[in-house]
Order: sequence, then C-alpha cells, then structure tokens
Amino acid sequence: MFPKHPPTLAAARFVGRTMLASFMTVFLAANGVAQSQQSVPDVTALSMEDLMNIQVTSVSKRTQKVADAAAAIFVITQEDLRRSGATSIPEALRLVPGLEVARIDENKWAIGSRGFNGRFDNKLLVLIDGRSVYTPLFSGVYWNVQDVMLEDIDRIEVIRGPGATLWGANAVNGVINIITKKAKATQSGVVTAGGGNEERGSVAGRYGDKIGNDTSYRIYGKYFDWAPSQYATGGTANDGWEAQRGGFRADYTPAGSNSFTLQGDIYHSGYNETLTVPSFAAPFSSTFPNSGAYSGGNILGRWNHSSEGSSMSLQMYYDNTTLSDNSLFVDHQNLFDVDFQDGFHVGDSQQMVWGLGYRSIIDRNDPSFSVSLQPNQLTLNQFSAFLQDEISLVHSLRLTVGSKFEHNAFTGFEFEPNVRLLWTMTPNQSIWTAVSRAVRTPALTEEGLRLTNSVVPPGIPQNPTPFPALITVYGSHNFQSEDLLAYELGYRVQVTNTLSTDIATFYNSYSNLRTAEPGAPFLEGNPVPTDIVVPFVASNKMGGGTYGAELIADWKVTQKWRLVGSYSYLQMDIVKNSNSLDPTADLPNGSNPRHQWYVRSSLDLPKHFDLDNTLRFVDHLPALNIPSYYSLDAHVGWRPVPRVQFSITGQDLLNHQHLEFIPDFINTAPTIVNRAIYGSVTVNFK
Amino acid sequence: MKHFEHPRPANGMLRRLAILIAVFSMTLNWTVSAGAQAGDASDSSEYLIKAGFIYNFAKFVEWPSTAFAEPDSPIVIGVLGTDPFGDIINHVVEGKKIGARGFVIRRFKWSKELKDLKDFKECRILFVSSSEKMHFEEIVEAVKGLPILTVGEAPGFAERGGMIRLMLEDNRVRFEVNVDAAHDGNLNISSRLLTLARIISPTGALARKPG
Repeated sequence: MFPKHPPTLAAARFVGRTMLASFMTVFLAANGVAQSQQSVPDVTALSMEDLMNIQVTSVSKRTQKVADAAAAIFVITQEDLRRSGATSIPEALRLVPGLEVARIDENKWAIGSRGFNGRFDNKLLVLIDGRSVYTPLFSGVYWNVQDVMLEDIDRIEVIRGPGATLWGANAVNGVINIITKKAKATQSGVVTAGGGNEERGSVAGRYGDKIGNDTSYRIYGKYFDWAPSQYATGGTANDGWEAQRGGFRADYTPAGSNSFTLQGDIYHSGYNETLTVPSFAAPFSSTFPNSGAYSGGNILGRWNHSSEGSSMSLQMYYDNTTLSDNSLFVDHQNLFDVDFQDGFHVGDSQQMVWGLGYRSIIDRNDPSFSVSLQPNQLTLNQFSAFLQDEISLVHSLRLTVGSKFEHNAFTGFEFEPNVRLLWTMTPNQSIWTAVSRAVRTPALTEEGLRLTNSVVPPGIPQNPTPFPALITVYGSHNFQSEDLLAYELGYRVQVTNTLSTDIATFYNSYSNLRTAEPGAPFLEGNPVPTDIVVPFVASNKMGGGTYGAELIADWKVTQKWRLVGSYSYLQMDIVKNSNSLDPTADLPNGSNPRHQWYVRSSLDLPKHFDLDNTLRFVDHLPALNIPSYYSLDAHVGWRPVPRVQFSITGQDLLNHQHLEFIPDFINTAPTIVNRAIYGSVTVNFK
Repeated sequence: MKHFEHPRPANGMLRRLAILIAVFSMTLNWTVSAGAQAGDASDSSEYLIKAGFIYNFAKFVEWPSTAFAEPDSPIVIGVLGTDPFGDIINHVVEGKKIGARGFVIRRFKWSKELKDLKDFKECRILFVSSSEKMHFEEIVEAVKGLPILTVGEAPGFAERGGMIRLMLEDNRVRFEVNVDAAHDGNLNISSRLLTLARIISPTGALARKPG
C-alpha cells in the first residue's frame, strides 16, 4: 500500500502551474468575465476537450429542484470541510449560518434549525446519500453515529425551513443532505491519522479502484477515540467514546442512460455518560457512570435512468440501528425503504417531478424501570406520494407548486403543500418567497412511552401519601401531528464581483405542538399498591409564532483571502393554549440563541500553507441558564507535496470554557467545551 | 477545404480560461455556493455547452465542395422540432466565422414536404430535437445523400441513422458518431473529433475509444 511513484519535481511543478491557473481564474473572474455575464459566454473559443470537461447542471435532481425552487440553502463543500478542520459532521455543521449546534457532552449534540433545539430535536430531517437517518423512535437523530469518511464527502446541503413537499414529514424546520462523492471520484488510496487532547486518536483509510471499464468502487474504514471532558464544576467527566466504522460504495455506469449504485456501512460506537435516574427507594434518585453502545448497518441500492429532459430513479435501502444503553433502554430498529422518483419536462416551460415512497419500520425494545415503550414490538407502514411542478411564467419569474401526500399508522393522511416563487430581477439579484405547510408526525415515544422523570418521596408536603410518587411522562394514542405554516422571503445579491450576500427571513406559525398534560394520579402495584403514578400525557396544546432572519456575506478580499460573515436572529413566541395544564415553562422559547454570528477568514499562504480562523458568538439560553459565549477556532493546512497534507486545528482557543446545552428528558450530566488541539496527516497514494 | 487552428495569441489562453470560468460559474452557481450567489439558476448551461459542440463540429467536419455555392456561403444550422437552445445558439455563432463562412440559424417543424423545401436543403448541420423521435427514420430518409450533418440527442439516434448524438454522462457532454452515416452524406469527420467520440460501428455494437 505504498505510492507507486514517489512525488516528483514534475508533479510539484504541475501543482504549481495548477495553482497559478487557479489564481488567474479568480483574477479573470473578478476582472473580465463577470461583467459580460449578461451576454452568453463565448463557448466557441473553447476546445472540444475543454467543452467535454465542463460539468452541466443535470435536469431534474431533487437537490437541484430545491436550490432552484428558492429556499434558504447553504452548501458546505469538501474544501470548506477540509479547511474547517472539523473531524465530525456535527462540528462541520457549525459552518452553517443560523443553524444551532450545541455540544451536550463529548458524544451528544443538540442540533436544530430555526428553534426547538434539543437532544431530541424532532423538526430536522437528515439524509446521508438519500438515506433518512432520523429515528422514528423520537423523530430525531443519533448524531454520534452519523458519520462517513469525511474525505469522501462531496458536499453537505443544508436547507433551513420546511422541505416537506419533497422530503415529507419531519422536514419541518430544516433538511440536511450529506452527499458523498461518486466512486469514480475517489479512485485512489487515502490514509489519514491524527490525535489531540480531546480526540485522542483517529485513523481512517479509503481505497478506490475500477473493475472493468464500467464499475468503480471504494471501501473505507475508520476508528476514533475521544478522551473525557470536564464537568462544569470541575473534575474529569465520564463522557469518552469511541467508534469504528467501515463501508463501501460501487457505481456501475455502463454506456447508455442507466446507472446503478450499491453502498453500505457497518458501525459500532461505545459511549460513556453520567446518568441520573429516579429510583423507588431513598434517596429516590441515583447518579452513576453509565455506558452503552450504538451499532448497526445499512445497505442501499439505486437505479438511475436519465435521458435528455428526464430522469428517473428507484432507490431501496435497509437500515438497522441497535441502541443498547446498559441502564435505560434497548431498542432494535429495522427500517426498509423504497423510493421512486421521476422528473420530466412538459413543453418548454414546465418541469414536473413526482414520486412514490414506502417505508416499513420494525421496532423491538427492552424496558427499564425509568423508560419503557408500549408495545414492545411493532411494525409501522408509511406510504407517500408527491408531485411538484416548476413553471417558468416569464423569463425571470419561476413558480413552483407541489404537495406531498403521506399516510402513517398514527395520524392517517397528511398533506404538505408548498408554493414558491423566484424572481430574478437582474442577473445579479433575485428575490424568492415561499409559503409551505409541514407536519411532524408522531414518534413511537409519543404514542407509547412511559418515562419516569423523578420520584417524590412519600410523606412530605408535596406528596402526603404513604407511597412514592412517580412523576411520569406518557405517550398517547391521541397525540396528533404538529403543524407548521411557514412564510419565507429571501433576497440574494451579487453586490460586486467579489462580494455577495444572501438574506433569508421567515415567519413560522405552529399549532398542535407537544405539551405534557397532567392526568389523574393512580395507584400501581398488585396486589398491594407500591407507588402512586402522577402521569403527564403527551398532548397537542401549544402553538405560536417564530420569526427570524439569517444573513450571510461572502467577500473575496483578494485572490488569496476570503472573508465570510454570518449573522442570524431568532425570536420565538410559543405559548400554551389556554386549555393547557402543562406545568412546565414554555421551554422552547428560551433554549435557542436569539443572536448568533461568526466571521471566518480563509487565507492562502505561500509555500502551500493555508490558514483559517473563525470567531463565533452564540447568545445565551435563558431557559437553560447557559451564558453566551465566544469561540475562536483556527486551522492550518500544509501541502508540501500534492499527495500529503498536514493539518493542525485549534478549537476554542480563547479557552472560554463553557457549557453549550442542558439535555432534556434523559438526565445526563452536561460537560464543558474547552480548548482542543488536534493534528493530523493525510496521505494520498496511487 | 480544411480548417486549421491558428496559433493563439499570447492572451488566447487567458481568454479561454476566462470563458471556462464563466461557463463554469453558470453551472456551479447553485451547487458550490448557492447560499451566496445571485446568479440565475434557471438557465442550465447544458445547451450553451452543446452549442459549443455544434460550433466545433462545423470546424472539424469537411463538406464536399459542392455543398456550398460560394466560398463565403454561410453554414446553415437547422433546428428541427422543439428548440431546446432558445436564443443561445444564435448568440453563440453570431459574428463567428470558420474560414470565410459565417453562420445562419433556421428553425423547422417536421412535415413530409420539408425535404423539398429549399431552406431545408441548404442546411449543412441539422439539429434534430428529441421531440421528433417518432420521425427519426423519415428524417434520416429525407436527408439521405444530402451533405447534411445530423445531430441529435435522443437515445438510439446514432444507431437509427443519425450521424452524431450528444449525450450527458456524469453531468458532462459526450458524443457518439455513426461513421457510416456520415460517409453516406459524403462528410469527412476529422480524426480529432473521432478520437474524442464513441464510435457507433456498422453492426450497431458499441465500441469505446480512448479519451
């Protein structure tokens, strides 16, 4: 597994020339060509070879549909990812303007878009190569197992706001699409290894090759180990974790219009945490070091058929996720999904896309004293269909209308329509607006959960009975979908050749949000009562509005220096309905930062060095008593020869030790984020 | 008459690079920096690039001397059926010359009588839109023996007697050439083009060429 040829002077010279070319690129783009953008670029001056190397936008991909359809979209490219020094997907998502990313402990994150953030955030849909990774258990994401070989990521597309018409229920406040490169684009070997004070060690490798003329493949494996962090009160925490993972992707692209993809992963991740659970006997709660593991695998096959003006795809996947927490809960989930999609042109001015989907979820779980789920075993079937039409009204005005129709076992039929309008006023500026409806369908836990939150000792003023009182949250079969009606307005402008800005604003109107309504207490135990249960039952008695804006500006100061600035504002006015008896405070309002901003500088230095610095500000979370914080991150990359890269990342260099979040529902001890240094070396061969 | 590429002036490369960037930025606007760019995402660059291909075909195909009345007669490009180019192709060839010849773009609707139309017979390149796939055989029959380079997009176009088919692979434009069909039209396709093309052999089986 060594390079066949050592790096040569010629190679170095080639890279030098390539870099020169890319500088010229920026220079020319800035000075000459952009001015003539209004006219058609003179393609006749290009050679056949040049023309054959230009990528064109494909006709009716989902991802493009949304970008076209006018939405608040942001893309993290592979280069952004590399220059950020992020070693995990959650950390990479801090680059997205307006997204709320908070680390709870080393192996848990709360990630949200436009509010309602939490460890069990249920309004964000996440997909990896078309495979949905939100768990139907709580309609959220196990962030610590959503991982791929980072070098193989093509891009991460993040849409803030609803995407339910194309993606369905749960794409309420945002969609994150992690897209890996085609196997054809990873036809080499890569080995990367690194270590630091928080991420103690990590090693990953990928190898890609061809079988015959038409089949490309790659395989990868990775391992990492994180050291424990500290508690806010001092002392080493118990939140270390490690994970190993492997997988493959093969693309078969014979001549003609069909192509096939087969890909899969397996993983195992072990974690530690400090857990507090209620108990029956005095002192009625216990705090102890807990551990557990996530393991699973998935396999996905996709057939694509594209011809001029139309494209079709059929995708199937199977996904297994097993969560085995040693003290709380064991859950085995098997998910099977089929998805068909077809896009085509109708006449000259319309582009139609429609699709059908089926998903089957088989869940089996083992309870503990504090958490159980009824029934212990069940199978759910979901059916969906969508239709969307994109119409060019006049040259500069494009209208998109469509709707998703879904059927699920809990709430029956749901529909999620949207209307979007894009107006390209001048070649340099455009305005878009959208009205969309999205629903968040009930999770398994909201139907059948029993979670004992705390135990009130007997014989005290709060509980005069002789029995311990179990404060218990229950799911309910009467729980309905949460509804959103979203109004969005956005503006994009290329101010000068080197400066562009993008502003997205929204007003979201929610109804039927989840509350926990008190029920009549009852005695438990047979034949002799042992305890009294004070139930709080999942219900839909909350609603209200949120509004906000996200702004991003991208300025190429010089050919070698880029500045990106982002600011986001969020105001949440969520209130309980007058008939709600939920005694808890209106938590969602105070658990999201009202102001967030960052400034990021990306500098290309001589001798193949690059330097990135990011200063971030995250506002306080009053409901969680989390103060605001600043964080300064830096990354230095150095490519002495094209196939070798050294990288050093420093996070939170100001050493402003801070908590970022307090977990909800499951009482694990949050830990602080402090200064972290991580170094790595990456070698390409073949 | 052969057309050779003239040595480029020193700034030729820069200009070429600049155009590449411009085309590139059109295609990449939304993927790379959709959040930050203003550009008009509605205009796919596909047909701009395809127009560039058609211009290059004109450059690397040799017509029989009888195909043109005068040394400076224009190269007439016909677009048959639903036009996917819009104005793009007019803009691309506007003011361009190959040797002494300029370009003229004409648009046609299919009918049986088309082959008797003088305007149609003057075409030297005929772009056959995918909308005409029901009539490919009739169209091939109509231009048979005429020095008209037929270019299409629909799958099977070259196998069914068309000369060049443009297609997308991995979001890049590729093309296949039915050499026999070109010979039937007395057209000589430069080896420079053929090395880049996928050749459709007489039996209809596909043969891959390097590149």
